[in-house]
Amino acid sequence: MIEDDEAPGRVRTVADKLSAVSPLALKRRIAVLEEEVQECRQTSLRVAELTDLVTELLVPLVRGDNAEALEILDRYHQSL
Amino acid sequence: MPGSGRYGAPMTVSRVRVDGEGVRARSRDEAILDVSFDGRRIWSFWLHRDGGRSGLDHLVPWPETLTDFLDGRARITVQEHGVDDVLFDDAVTFGESDEPIAIVNGRGRPIALDKYFRRVETFEGRSDEAVRPLLDSIQEVIDVVAECGIEAFLTYGTLLGAVRDQKLIGHDSDADLGYVSRHSDPADVVVESFALQRALRARGYQVVRYSGAAIKVDVVESDGAVRGLDLFGGFLRDGQLHLLGEIRTPFEREWIFPLTTAVLEGRSFPVPADPDRLLVATYGEAWRTPDPAFHFETPTTTSRRLNGWFRGTRVGRSTWDRLYLSGAFGRRRHVAEAARWVVDSEPDMASFVDLGCGRGREASYVAEQGVPVLALDQSRFYFRHQARAWEPGTGPDFRTFNMLEDRHVAVAAVRGALLPGPRILFARHLADATSAAGRRALWRTAKSMLSDGDGRFYLFFMSVEGDDGYGVDNQVGELSREVVEEELKAAGARITYCEERPASPAKGASTLCRMVAEWPGHPERDPAVRTRS
Repeated sequence: MIEDDEAPGRVRTVADKLSAVSPLALKRRIAVLEEEVQECRQTSLRVAELTDLVTELLVPLVRGDNAEALEILDRYHQSL
Repeated sequence: MPGSGRYGAPMTVSRVRVDGEGVRARSRDEAILDVSFDGRRIWSFWLHRDGGRSGLDHLVPWPETLTDFLDGRARITVQEHGVDDVLFDDAVTFGESDEPIAIVNGRGRPIALDKYFRRVETFEGRSDEAVRPLLDSIQEVIDVVAECGIEAFLTYGTLLGAVRDQKLIGHDSDADLGYVSRHSDPADVVVESFALQRALRARGYQVVRYSGAAIKVDVVESDGAVRGLDLFGGFLRDGQLHLLGEIRTPFEREWIFPLTTAVLEGRSFPVPADPDRLLVATYGEAWRTPDPAFHFETPTTTSRRLNGWFRGTRVGRSTWDRLYLSGAFGRRRHVAEAARWVVDSEPDMASFVDLGCGRGREASYVAEQGVPVLALDQSRFYFRHQARAWEPGTGPDFRTFNMLEDRHVAVAAVRGALLPGPRILFARHLADATSAAGRRALWRTAKSMLSDGDGRFYLFFMSVEGDDGYGVDNQVGELSREVVEEELKAAGARITYCEERPASPAKGASTLCRMVAEWPGHPERDPAVRTRS
């Protein structure tokens, strides 16, 4: 892993540096980065679902004169 | 007579026969076969994917959507898709009648099956009168969407037909609408699409979600026939138009807005300001020339983006839908032994949750014991017969549940948690039928339902695949006991029972695992199951 090459205390040799930019190493690095980008994209749907849950389900649930819900809300708020 | 397929290669499909059961054929390789009734293509299927083994052949049973018509005679031809050679051509008689078979809908219009084996009326040969209900539907959906502040326009094949010939394209059966969101963040686009779905539902439409930004709106036409309108979400971001299903292309806002109009079958509909730009992005520069064989070539960079942002909630769904629609899958005369075992093991159970209930036979069985039952699966279609068998307000509470959607998990978890304890969760061939992401969601669901510790989670899965075909028959894959143990422990569960046994006495039988798990915090009890050896 390239991260290891950059660990403090390790002396990087010329060979290390060259191998880090070799086509194979770069190809592997790109594959890893692509996976990481895809992971980030996949949070979109999750964020949307959670937003929807809060705005369309939780908010209407606690709306109105619901003492217990307000108490839970207070408790949650204080815990932030 | 041996024929030859495309490129002169020897044809691999042989021994094609057609009878009341279905279509039989032999082929080492997968093949797509078209079945025509009296010269009209009605149904296409994949021989291996859609068929079951029958000796050396594959038998593809007639889909449920077609069997209603199969009483009478017809000249049936079977051809490999895209190949001229005829593999089967003969008069076939079905059932008792000797009348010619007419595959038509309630209005007497010819229908065919789409790729999901649903009955569809294609536009081919339809009169102006016949397309009017569809045009009404398009306008209706555009109007509802407009109430949400979104300007929808014709897109894909429907836009192409309107701009090129002012007509619907003959081989299409659906209409496509699109819109460009005012948002640029995919998460906002999804939230907006959820709102749109709600608005349409509130107006009485059935809506199926394809992805985070694309839905299908079922519009009931005047004679009761259902027509699906696809509504594709889009947005502009970084100078690119992203439009579900498959477009990402450099685009200017001015090429969309303000919308203009085009005539389709004599009626005026909204289209992008510069339809040519969108058609070039969709069909290439040659869009003015008809090409029925055209298919989208989506660049990887586009599909990766759209998949990452919007998709992943319907993995394997079309296969399951097709299975439940097309055959005897999951139809059993007897209740699965696993359900009887659970009922016997849990004399004090106060409620029962069937996760992945399929046709719902086991859920009904438990409900018959007088226990409140929540039965969950991804489509109403799967359990429709069992659901109908009960008087309203009695029997299992059948609900849809897609484990790959967080909202479904949240709602199911609350419904389950509200049931009286001890609540017994039952997941038979669910963990081994889903993905790793699906399993994570399943553990999360079970944990939430049992968060007070008052109940148990019964799991049944195939832990070793033998050569008895059990995996194929039940549409499950091998899932090792160790993996499940590890994942459940990581999810905070304690496994209280585990047993592996062969699926049958036959040699080479697959191994089935039954496991019981609990989450901590439950009151001390001495469940019957623990005393079993």
